[in-house]
Amino acid sequence: MNPHVSAEELDQQIEEMILGTSVELSDEASPLLATASELRLLPDPDFRRRLNAELMSEAMPAETSFTPSRDNRPSAGAAASIMPTLTGKGFRIFPADHRSFMVSFASHAALVLLIASGIWVGQRPIIRTTQILASKLTYLGSGGGGGGDGSSIPATKGTPPKFSNQQLAPPVIVVRNPNPALPVDPTVLGPPQLNLPQSNQIGDLMSSNVILPSNGTGRGGGVGSDSGTGIGSGTGPGVGTGSDGAYGRGAFTAGRGVTAPRAIYDPEPEYSEEARRVHFQGVVVLSIVVDQEGRARDVRVARSVGLGLDEKAMEAVKKWKFEPGVKDGHPVAVGVNVEVNFRLY
Amino acid sequence: METALKTLAREPDERVLIEAAQSDPARFSELYEQNFARVYAFFARRVATREEAQDLTSEVFHQALASVHSFKWQGAPFVAWLYGIAANVLTGHWKRLGRNPSLEETDLSGAGDEIERSVMLAELVDLLPTDQRRVVLQRFVKQKSIREIAHDLGRSEGAVKQLQFRALENLREKLGRPI
Repeated sequence: MNPHVSAEELDQQIEEMILGTSVELSDEASPLLATASELRLLPDPDFRRRLNAELMSEAMPAETSFTPSRDNRPSAGAAASIMPTLTGKGFRIFPADHRSFMVSFASHAALVLLIASGIWVGQRPIIRTTQILASKLTYLGSGGGGGGDGSSIPATKGTPPKFSNQQLAPPVIVVRNPNPALPVDPTVLGPPQLNLPQSNQIGDLMSSNVILPSNGTGRGGGVGSDSGTGIGSGTGPGVGTGSDGAYGRGAFTAGRGVTAPRAIYDPEPEYSEEARRVHFQGVVVLSIVVDQEGRARDVRVARSVGLGLDEKAMEAVKKWKFEPGVKDGHPVAVGVNVEVNFRLY
Repeated sequence: METALKTLAREPDERVLIEAAQSDPARFSELYEQNFARVYAFFARRVATREEAQDLTSEVFHQALASVHSFKWQGAPFVAWLYGIAANVLTGHWKRLGRNPSLEETDLSGAGDEIERSVMLAELVDLLPTDQRRVVLQRFVKQKSIREIAHDLGRSEGAVKQLQFRALENLREKLGRPI
């Protein structure tokens, strides 16, 4: 298949799909066009941000401001009677000198500025940083696995079995013991809620061998090209190229036998100049994976407030040290959210 | 419904987020971020236009924000509550249009897999290389022509078509077979 020709043909069919005219699908383009059709249902990121901002302005009570109505606004004459010294009129016993007002106004303004500058200098950010909430794991977030039985043929292409918190039997394609004493379904180690595409054929998603049944060239009992009881080119009980459970660079979720990591060294983030200047406050939520060594990796902004505070939060959290999450007595990578609250008092 | 909720085995922090939003509505934003994609996907397959899907999604979250204080945690995921609001909003929408929706149309039992697939597709789009992601968003979400995208990105039209092709191949490979 010539990819350039296909790109052209595909675009023509996409154009017809968008215009709503009838589309004749070629066998090659059909699945791609089906994916294109699904993509048209995705939300607009701008709308998502706009709606969030709208909801937040609704959630936060607006500052009350007093605006006198036109009808009640005092007239110039009334102003003269209310503030006689301002206009230099009224109080006829001691006629006012308008210069007194100017001196008074200037001195009060200076006093207000002095107090305000004192408050401003006195303000420093007080940042609450350590409320850690267990979060959902990142879908493709050092999970991985591999295995095989020393075959000369690469593992058969297929999809992994379900993830489980406990792996009782590794996945196999070529069954060496057809009558096990205790038959159990094969699983790979990882959070059970992690969903990967499923099919009737267990195998390595990344393999090019779509015909011959093989457990792969690795060792350890799983499926793949390295070692372990998982699937892929890694060395663990999960799926992918890493050495842990889960998939790709995935991680466990706290709960169900997995303890949440705990921050043991958490220096406060700095306030960004940009945000300080406009007295901007907000809560940045970071999605991170705390690895077995207690370091934060895969740091992503889950909720952004902008004005440089996201970057400051990320900078700080990358320096943090955690007591890692534990599963079955062993430290494991756990996905958590870290909430960094930027407040000026 | 069961399928949708099973795949949604909610994080232990959801209850914390709900309680936070109940005591401080400004914290509703986190619940919004966690559930936006599913609510939008619920409507996207049930209405004719993007504008309708956006209006109805907006209505659901405004209603949810206004009544989150009355939400009682009973172990079900928050999104199930949102789906309830969404179903009512959709019924109201159809009534305004003079349509009488069938029970099947408001039944969520078949919607779970579709919604989860849309959410997964959105996550996979986020993981595409930057150029491919920009082309996908502009072409399929913003509905721009290849020429407009080429102009915006400063690339040739041929290059944009190649990026579109590779992006779709990447997504198809990671997503598996279509529903």
